Order: sequence, then structure tokens, then C-alpha cells
Amino acid sequence: MRIIVPIKQILDPDGLTFRRDKERMFINREEYIIGPGSKAAVEAALRLKGEGDEGSGEPGRTVVALSMGEARADDALREALAMGCDAAYLLSDSAFAYADLSVTTRVLAEAVARLGGADLIVTGRESGDTGAGQIGPRLAQALGYAQVTDVCALVAGEDGIEATRRWGEGYATVKAPLPAVVTVAPEAFEPRLPHGARIMSAYREWDVPVWDADALELGEAALAPLLTKRRESFPPPLEVGEVFRGDPETVAEDVVAALRQQKIIGQAGG
Amino acid sequence: MDFSFLDDYEEEAGPEIVDAGEGYRNIWVLAEVADGALCRSTLEVMGQARDLADQIGVYVYGVLIGEGVEPLGQELIAYGADLVLVADDAALAEYQPETYTQALACLVDEKRPEILLIPATALGNDLAPRLAQRLNTGLMSHCTKLGLDMSERLLLGTFPVLGGEMYHTVACPEARPQIATLEPGYFRVPYEDTYRSGDVQQVEVNLSEVEGRLSWTDLDAAVDLPSAPLTKAKVVVCAGRGLQDAEGFGLAEQLAAALGGVVAGSRGAQDEGWIAEEQVVGVGGHEIAPDLYVACGVSGDVYHYFGVQDAKFVVAINADEDAPIMKLANMAVVGDAKQVIPAMLEALGA
Repeated sequence: MRIIVPIKQILDPDGLTFRRDKERMFINREEYIIGPGSKAAVEAALRLKGEGDEGSGEPGRTVVALSMGEARADDALREALAMGCDAAYLLSDSAFAYADLSVTTRVLAEAVARLGGADLIVTGRESGDTGAGQIGPRLAQALGYAQVTDVCALVAGEDGIEATRRWGEGYATVKAPLPAVVTVAPEAFEPRLPHGARIMSAYREWDVPVWDADALELGEAALAPLLTKRRESFPPPLEVGEVFRGDPETVAEDVVAALRQQKIIGQAGG
Repeated sequence: MDFSFLDDYEEEAGPEIVDAGEGYRNIWVLAEVADGALCRSTLEVMGQARDLADQIGVYVYGVLIGEGVEPLGQELIAYGADLVLVADDAALAEYQPETYTQALACLVDEKRPEILLIPATALGNDLAPRLAQRLNTGLMSHCTKLGLDMSERLLLGTFPVLGGEMYHTVACPEARPQIATLEPGYFRVPYEDTYRSGDVQQVEVNLSEVEGRLSWTDLDAAVDLPSAPLTKAKVVVCAGRGLQDAEGFGLAEQLAAALGGVVAGSRGAQDEGWIAEEQVVGVGGHEIAPDLYVACGVSGDVYHYFGVQDAKFVVAINADEDAPIMKLANMAVVGDAKQVIPAMLEALGA
């Protein structure tokens, strides 16, 4: 069984500060990490492969990591290798620079096809930066696979998967045949630390091949984005020092209403 | 008067105006049905669709997909739809990405809406990207604000990125329909106007070539997710000595559960024996940066505040208006935490 994990390298949000009053983002420390969703996807795939403490794996399963990004995404892929992936491919080309989600889907689908298809594709529910959450279902449609999104528990057999996903207000269990695309909830798969010896090998011995647009046979037309970015904006600065006084019932209602109005909490509560 | 001179006048051919949306008109809302009723998020989306439609002068269509959903059509009209399309088919009784995508794609190909709005619920988030890929168009997902570029007749979708610290606004200039999913809870529900009238139309969709591949085995599964560690939790409720006793601490735990967060404590709470050392916030304990930090009966001295200074939004509940935390909080609630928290729980509907 071949499990393919598309991952995304993002700018570490811990190194960023936002000044709402100045409407600017400052990069204090420019460091790139594997996004939390992608890292959870690697973890979920490795658990299926059966390595580590919580495996339900069987022999003969291989995990392949893919990443579309700039040359620096090589680091992310080597980290994935160190975590336990069997192979990694970097999809990088200056022509991918303006890619939106439809283009990214095309690039990834092309790479999956070049690898000879997958039995299972595991990816994050959404990326840690732009958080669109589109790649999983788009990839499933492009390849004609079944899909299950926002999964928090996953078991795979030879003929299909069983997954527990968030559904409505609660959770639902669903079975899907292979091949399938699964997107995982980052909070449900705490990623493992890379193994020391594997870190050494990942950087010294193993190869991360780079595939560019020519290798994937993608022309200019296939790389034209559909969405254009118009603007960036910032939320208004939070007010400090709003004081609520009065009897407990009214105060509590006012506070909850104010929290809802400022979108600090959702309509349902948390 | 002689107007014959006008006959010689030929209008100079200007640049050809290309309307990318040629032939595509009207705004559609995909209605989501749960337990035989329209979801609240569907009504929120309907309100947005009505506003946009009134600005560009088109109709709002409600789209109902499922089995036995036709009676809900009138309700959609009362909330702002001009026409409701109902795809009633036994094969659509339960959600299957393949059949729902096929049904919607059929309808879109036939009737050509220029905008399609979908609530960003579990179903919407699963379906919308698949549909956008099928229709080869752009999707603006998780929008918290919608706008229009009137000069180009384009939908503008604004959505939060980087954990809500920033917004991006995007448009889909070429491909049609323009699809957006709308985050639940960000838009108001329009008034129900039972005097509005409109047609509820049955439509046929061709589902012969697709088959749903999922089998839903348990729609009410129990899940035991590992609770987020304190340092990663989005919402933290901190208990302090102002809660007085273990009963008061129990209230803080309930509030944390109602807000979907975890409970922590000040050094004082640890001294009282309510919490373990791993849950202490402040210098010598954890330094945390949650999105929402609720301090209940915590005075918030310097040692405590250093641990929570990166919190994005601070709510302090304290009987003493002059406590240090009250000066630092975004919302300072003056009152006994043991009385305010039960009232808050009630207001939260927990």
C-alpha cells in the first residue's frame, strides 16, 4: 500500500508579530517549519505504516512525502524523512510562484500520477498559514478518489479505511474504499520527534529529487491561477479596559454578548 | 430641423468589453438540512446573498438537495430566496461527496449562476472544494466578510489567515461561478418574512454515472481526543483564590468546558490544592499565549501576568476593581466570580 502525504512548509507563526494599530506584520525570526496540519498528516501516515508506539500497521506499506514550494522546502521534506517517511519529492519551479489552490492541486495530482498513483493520500485539514482547507477534496476530485475530511481517528485495511470525522455538532464514523484522500485534524495526531540517526541520514545520505514544471509536463496554461489577491487587511485593535459593572446576571449577559459581537467566541459557545 | 448630418456619424469602435460572466447570472445558496430543518448557517448565508443580489440586481436561488426536503422551500423564500430549486432524489438522502458534487455540477451547468454561496460547515467544507475542482473554478473558503467590486462585477471574499491576525481579500476574475464558503456565526440571520412569495421548483439531476463510495456506519461516534496541553490551548480559564473553595473552582472548570478550553490556575489555586503544578500559569509555571484568557478571581500580580502577557484577549472577573489584572484586561468584570460565572454559563447556553 502506497501512502502519499502532501505537506506544506510555512513561515513559523511564532516568529511573527502583528501590529494592528500600524496595520503591519513584522517578521522577527524568519524560520520555516512544516505546518501543523501537514505534520499531523505525516504522523497519521506513519501510524498506519506501523512505526512508533501507536501503530496499527502492516508490512509492505510505504509513506512518500511530497511538497510543492520553493527550494527551501527541501528542509521540510528531510524532516519528514527523519520522522520516518520512505521517500520524498520536492515539486519546485519558478513557474509555480503564483500558484493558487487549483494550480497546486494540478501539480500535486500530476506528481501522484507520476509516482504511479496512491492507495491513500493523507494531508492536513488546512494549512497553518492561509488555512483554506481545499487541497484534500480538490485532489480527490482531480484523481477521482473517495474523500473523508477532518478526520481524528484512522484505521486502514487492505480494501478500505475506517475514519472518525467531525460531523455536525459531533463526530461520525465512516468507511471508504481505496483509493481515498483523507484530511486529518491537527489536534488529534500529536507528531513524533524525528529519530536522531534518521536526522543524520536524512541530510547526509538520502536524496530528495526535485521535479520541475517540465518534469511534470505542466505548461503555462495549466499553471494560470484562478484567484487573484486584492488586499491584505488587519482586524481593528482590541480595546483595553472596558469595565462591566452591575448585578451578576446583567453583567454576565453583557460580557457574553460583547465576546460574541467581537467574534472572540462563536455563537454556540467555544 | 434637418438631422441628416447624423447619418454620416459612425460610432467609433471602442475596445470590446468582455464580460467574463457572460451568460452567468443570479446568486445561489446551497441550503444545508439537519434533522429535517434548515441550519442556522444556511440562514446567515441567505442574508448575505440577499444583500449582494439587491446590489447587482439579480435573483437569489435557494438550492435544496436531499430526500423529502421540498417542504423547506417555503422557509427559504421567507428568509430571502426568490426561487428554490429542489433536487429530491433517494440517492441524495445521505451526504456523499460524489453524488452531491454531481447534482450541483449538473444544476450549475444547466442554469449558470454567477455566484454560489455555501455555509462553511462540516458538509460545506467537504463539498465546496470538490465542487470547485469539478467546475474548474476558484473557491474563496472560510469567508468572514463578502463584498463586491462593482466596476468588474466581481465577488470579493475576505477570510482570516495566520490564525486571524490578518485578512486576505481575493476575487475570482475569470472562472464562473464564483464560489465562496461562509464561516458560521459571522453573519446575521435575516428576518423571516412569511409574506414573501416565490416558486419552489423540482429539478431533475442525472446521477446515473456516479455512486457514493462512503458508508456512514455511526453518526454519533464517541471520540476521546487528547485534551490540548495548556501551552497550546486556544482558550484558557484560570482560577484564582477569589473563587474561595473547591466548589468555586468547579465553576471555573465548567466555564472552561463551555468555552471549549482548558482550566488552569494561579499559584494561589495550587496552594489551595485545586490544581496540580503542571497547570499553574505565571512565572515558575507556564507561559501561555491563548486567544482568550479568562481570569476568575485572580488578582494578577506581576508574577502571574508575565505568564499570560501574550494572550490575545483577556477577560478578568474580580470583585476588587483595583486589582492589577483589571487594568490589563480587555474586559474587566467587577463582581464576585462565584456569582458571575453561573450567570455566564447560562448566557452561553451551557
